[in-house]
Amino acid sequence: MNNIKRYSFPRTPKAALSVLLNKKANAIAVAGGTLVARTLPETAETFLDLKNLPLNRIKKQGGDLVIGATATFDDIDNSKPTRSWAGGVLSRAAARCSSQLIRNMATIGGNIARPHSFNIFPAVLLGLDAEVKLLTRSGAKTCPFSGLYSPGIAPGRDSIILEVIIPARTKNWVCRFEKFAKTEASWEAYLTLFMGVKISNGSICAARVIVGALSPKPFRAALAEQVLTGARPNPGVIEEACLELARGLDAARPHKAEEFKKEVAASLLKRFLESLGCSGGRKPARM
Amino acid sequence: MKKEITEIKAVDGYFEICLKINGLTKNLKVKNNEFLLDALRRYGYKGAKKGCDTGDCGSCAVLFNGRPALSCLIPAFSAHGAEVTTIEGVGTVQAPHPIQEAFVQAGAVQCGYCIPGMIISAKHLLDANPAPSEGKIRKYLDGNLCRCTGYVKQVEAVKLAAKKMRPD
Repeated sequence: MNNIKRYSFPRTPKAALSVLLNKKANAIAVAGGTLVARTLPETAETFLDLKNLPLNRIKKQGGDLVIGATATFDDIDNSKPTRSWAGGVLSRAAARCSSQLIRNMATIGGNIARPHSFNIFPAVLLGLDAEVKLLTRSGAKTCPFSGLYSPGIAPGRDSIILEVIIPARTKNWVCRFEKFAKTEASWEAYLTLFMGVKISNGSICAARVIVGALSPKPFRAALAEQVLTGARPNPGVIEEACLELARGLDAARPHKAEEFKKEVAASLLKRFLESLGCSGGRKPARM
Repeated sequence: MKKEITEIKAVDGYFEICLKINGLTKNLKVKNNEFLLDALRRYGYKGAKKGCDTGDCGSCAVLFNGRPALSCLIPAFSAHGAEVTTIEGVGTVQAPHPIQEAFVQAGAVQCGYCIPGMIISAKHLLDANPAPSEGKIRKYLDGNLCRCTGYVKQVEAVKLAAKKMRPD
């Protein structure tokens, strides 16, 4: 932070964007400012503080769940709408990020602004087919979360994240988020896994299996999802899905030494699918 | 109408900031690379402790705009306009806060380094929830590391404080 010359705190997203787009300002946008504050690039001259923007509301809107970009992890953990959405998977994920003191500060916008393997929410948002509303130089724009890191969007550089929209169709999905880390409070996880299914008449009509923490961006285990979609989660299907997930991880793992992650992911998926109850297992625990 | 954007500028690497500390308006001169913890300690608020300096231990916790936050991760200049409560603003030796009394009575203090942060976290919890469950207490204290104890006494202290603070 040795070169910071200006501290700007805008009260509207439009004002924030104007600072960001002013190349002379050489601004760096910071929301919750947890890890970022200690790793600011030395070239930044303006510290653009987004935490005062009025974007921390969590609400249901037209059937969708809308989470403002400056909602903290603690807000998401304790909000009624998120606790009741998809079995409370968003709250559960928020509660599993680091410690309470960090959760009081860190925001969902900051967590998704840049791809990083530390981030908790990307796997969940990808799994829930979320969309992200941004303010860009050409106005407000909504893009699928899966396209957030595409060239030309660059949240925090050329655009400001306004809100995250979780579509209404996911409200009653049965979902689970698992974080496998050294300790519960660890920032860095060895593996995160989002699993979600929509069940109708005992069959899975939609399935999401998302793997996080292995790379800056989470990825879908598409073959495992294919096995599950349209099937009843009987032991044969569960085994095949776990096998496909393990194969998916094989392709993505950067280090072959991390063999255990394959085992862990497959076991977590197996537990989740067995808990659905369709194969005689336990009912999923309501979160 | 409120200005859409407020900006303060550094002069020779220093920002002049104005904030409320423990209810009193203060003007501080802080370096552009300084964090709130260091600025507070430089100005005499030494209750907030420097443990890890990386946001892991919670010994630097202060109430920042009403929420417990890690002052070692907050750039000092970004406290401009904020309300900060340090342990000095919670209670004194002569007039301790019921949480501070409870920590003493429960024998929850050994070396004491982590205690200011723990009390800040406990205060935030008890102000919002006068009768928290043990699970809730543990969750709210999970960012405050103690290397002396096994946390049992501190959890007991927060339960005792809750009892003390509840109107009969």
